[in-house]
Amino acid sequence: MNPFSDSTADLVELAVPYALHAMLDEERDSLESRVANAGSAVADAFYDEVRAVRETMAAVSATTAEEPPAELRGRLLSAIADDNVRVLPSGPRRRPAWMAAAAAVAIGLAAAGIGLSLRPPAPLPSTAQQVFAATDVNTISGAIPAGGTATVVFSRDRNAGVLVMNDVPPPAPGTVYQMWLVSDGTTTSAGTMDAEAVAPSTTAVLDNLGDSTKLAFTVEPGSGSTQPTGPLIAELPLI
Amino acid sequence: MGGRGPFTGTVVTLLLDRRLDGPVTLSDNVSDDAWSALTADLDALLRRVAHRDPEAFAALYDATRSRVYGMVARVLRDRGYSEETTQDVYLQVWRTAESYDPASGSALAWLLTLAHRRAVDRVRAEQAASQRDSRYGAATVERATDQVSDAVISGEERRRVTECMAGLTELQRECIELAYYRGLTYVQVSERLSANLATVKSRMRDGLRGLRNCLGAG
Repeated sequence: MNPFSDSTADLVELAVPYALHAMLDEERDSLESRVANAGSAVADAFYDEVRAVRETMAAVSATTAEEPPAELRGRLLSAIADDNVRVLPSGPRRRPAWMAAAAAVAIGLAAAGIGLSLRPPAPLPSTAQQVFAATDVNTISGAIPAGGTATVVFSRDRNAGVLVMNDVPPPAPGTVYQMWLVSDGTTTSAGTMDAEAVAPSTTAVLDNLGDSTKLAFTVEPGSGSTQPTGPLIAELPLI
Repeated sequence: MGGRGPFTGTVVTLLLDRRLDGPVTLSDNVSDDAWSALTADLDALLRRVAHRDPEAFAALYDATRSRVYGMVARVLRDRGYSEETTQDVYLQVWRTAESYDPASGSALAWLLTLAHRRAVDRVRAEQAASQRDSRYGAATVERATDQVSDAVISGEERRRVTECMAGLTELQRECIELAYYRGLTYVQVSERLSANLATVKSRMRDGLRGLRNCLGAG
């Protein structure tokens, strides 16, 4: 498809099949980037149309309504009671956020498993092994707005966690990413990552989670700060 | 709702009904107020779901389950698949409620978009896995019996939307049906209908605009 042949009308016409999921993934992805490259007026017209179609189909759902089997409710409620995976919103929301979020879960979880097990040659640090073996192990995953995902696998029993970062772009020159364990009144540095440490994936052990409730990421100047000073780029709830 | 404590499914479904208060004619757009009130309630529930509130999740499920399951079942035409997919949809809601952005549309549209996406992915995967399976052949499958109580979606509302559907041309309706409920791509729709792509795209668009105008839901 020649990207130079796109007119606004061509692109906006595709908003309806796009909103109805009536195209293959490859075409959807290519359409999204063509829209993104076509300027904000075209993108606004495109996504306005998408939004309108989705609202219309939401109203149309009244005509196909049908009760699900009653036992589904109980199954779902017990499934969520045991479910600790949480996905955070990701950056600019041109793409429906849920799609990026769904991808983040998939990638984040895959990264947690594959990234760690394939990482040669050093064996896993014993803290990580303990975390993965813990009976109360939890996994939280989130997209980093600038790109990539962060996944924390942690155990309160072991008072430790393992952070996996995948495909996160390097911090701007002269800055680092810094991780913070946040509890009620205190914020404790949990380490920094420079451009070299970030790419393409990295793992870090988080010792001493204490009573922290969040792992926060900021951009800090130089080699890091004693307290967060830069913009918050992501937060993962450790709950 | 003040003083009642947590939202309940009842509150939400009452609002669904309220959409249809008063005389309804085809030219009378659905009350924007009631629609916004419903959306605001679902928004509030979703925000609480984002904070891991299981009661809010249950209320959201009760207020939307028949719409979600019914649409999914219409696409998948298989009870087992539909149940699994519906479960996946709500699990995804639980995990990603924080990423719902009210600026990009109503909570109901967000939910149904998510559900439709999963249903279409599933139907395409099943089709690819078993081309010979007649389950997804061209045969028409009859609609399930009407089991949804008037408390959740009133008969009046369903009738009204059905009338709007009936107001479309045959080709417009067919294009939407094949794309939305059969999971066909617009290219496949054009092949199925032996119509050229430009025609299919414009019928889809005209059909959706016609529906939107009729419903006043745009």
